[in-house]
Amino acid sequence: MGSELGSLVATMLEAEPWVGALEGVDVDPPRRRLRKAVFHRIEPYHRQQVVDVVGRFNPHVLIHVAVWEPDARVTTAQARTFTTDAATSFLGAAAECPALEHIVVRSAACIYGRARGSLSRPDESAPPNPTTEFGRMAARLEAVANDVGRRTGVTIGAVRLAPVLGPHVPSPLGRLLRVPVVPFSAPADPPFAVVRDSDAASALVAAARVGLAEPVNVVGSGAITAWQAILRGRRLPLPLVGPEWGLARRLSHILGAPVPEHVVELLHRGRLVDGTRVQELLGFTPAHSTPEVIDRLYEWPSVIRVPSSLPWPGQPQIDRLDPETAEVAS
Amino acid sequence: MSTVADVIHIDTRGGAAASFDRALRAVTRPVSVVWPRPTVDEWGRDAQFIEALSPVTHLRWDVSVGGEHHLSGGAALIVVNTRRFALTPVSTALALSDVLHRPVRFVGRPDTVPFGPFLRRMGGLLARPEEIAGALRAGDLVVLGAQGTLNPRQAGVVDHTLVAAALSEKVPVHVAATLSTVISRQARVEVAAALRSRKKRRGPLAEVELAEHAQRRLQDLLDEMGGTRTGVPGLGWLGEG
Repeated sequence: MGSELGSLVATMLEAEPWVGALEGVDVDPPRRRLRKAVFHRIEPYHRQQVVDVVGRFNPHVLIHVAVWEPDARVTTAQARTFTTDAATSFLGAAAECPALEHIVVRSAACIYGRARGSLSRPDESAPPNPTTEFGRMAARLEAVANDVGRRTGVTIGAVRLAPVLGPHVPSPLGRLLRVPVVPFSAPADPPFAVVRDSDAASALVAAARVGLAEPVNVVGSGAITAWQAILRGRRLPLPLVGPEWGLARRLSHILGAPVPEHVVELLHRGRLVDGTRVQELLGFTPAHSTPEVIDRLYEWPSVIRVPSSLPWPGQPQIDRLDPETAEVAS
Repeated sequence: MSTVADVIHIDTRGGAAASFDRALRAVTRPVSVVWPRPTVDEWGRDAQFIEALSPVTHLRWDVSVGGEHHLSGGAALIVVNTRRFALTPVSTALALSDVLHRPVRFVGRPDTVPFGPFLRRMGGLLARPEEIAGALRAGDLVVLGAQGTLNPRQAGVVDHTLVAAALSEKVPVHVAATLSTVISRQARVEVAAALRSRKKRRGPLAEVELAEHAQRRLQDLLDEMGGTRTGVPGLGWLGEG
């Protein structure tokens, strides 16, 4: 509930008529104003505290969004540790709740991997074969959730999200595409697809509402290549062919846009998934196409100017705020 | 009558910038593949890339297509005979796409650079049943080449594991006989009506028999079409290979 996606999910759940009480646990406080939800700030590795809070609440539905994308907010090693700790604590605690009926986990399209000869556009029936750390994290999370489901008899729904982009979502892909000079794979330049944060949140809420009991891919329609995205953003494309990628990654890291291996894989091998079953399974279709999300990515301001609550001498008049960015005051 | 309100039209971008964009696009039309438009579809086929390549492909192939009315608006698998090293599935897919004005994919791209991404942009799919099934499920036309032969008038073996995708997705299977030569641009694609099997099979025999049926029908079509000749006295046989 502390991440942007978690806060968005909580906001949407508050508006759902079928949701009674709502509680959330995270290491960071919520990013949005929540009116009904109760928030508990607990580190995932404080397992007993998590078990006490979740056990006391005794939920019917658990939405597990605690997945740290490598190099989004923390390093790959930290992301792996935090995601594992959170999965053990939250899913383990939920398994002890007698009222629990359903679990929804946030997974990733990286779970299919992009090994040589793997499907260009895998659907949900394709076996997971992760080839990056983020994909392996998603596979481990789904495995833990499925194990909980098998032991307790609750249904498990995995929402496999394409790379999530949004105005406040920390994303290594979004960050990389917004730097002035963007490297891309000249010999391959494969297509990829993304999903908007609001669509991802809607999918998680819909999965909880319908009691999704299987994996589902959630991705914006259409596709785009890195070259096309860079040109649409009026950035300078930097074509790379192979060995210099190591240097480019290090330079990019120093300049504040680390490029984790799942983003390198996306730029070299592409990432498309078949999201045609989302309507059938969730009764919902992502509202934003991939090109639209990429266009919006370049429209989001780098610095969000929010007027102070008290006027100060010489304060410029800010007439209008972008409704997407107006809620965040930091 | 009094005016209730004036409607003010505000451009999303400045007029000067929009004019500059239009002028730039007009000037760079011959190299329009570099325009920042998202032209790849959900499988990686790039319509703009194909359009940019069309002068080159037309320089190599001048394909006349017949029997395209047999293809309905929905998904279908089209099995074609393949002359070795002739890129028959690629030329057939491009010719059908031109005639039908819809994307047509072909099976048999590699997954290594630079040819894999290049052929993917042209509509290539990996030779995997799941990949073909996915494209058919999406309502696409997919061209599948039979095993390559040296003799252009001989239909090669059809891979039953790949044909199985059409059965699993319940889409029609057509055969298309193709005739082309090494030295000539002229080529012919003749699409036949959907195959109809007399026997209903529930097990794996269904795809094996369908693949054999496709090969037989393809051979019949090739026999009906006759060979191609170069028209050069004494060198007419060159058209055969």
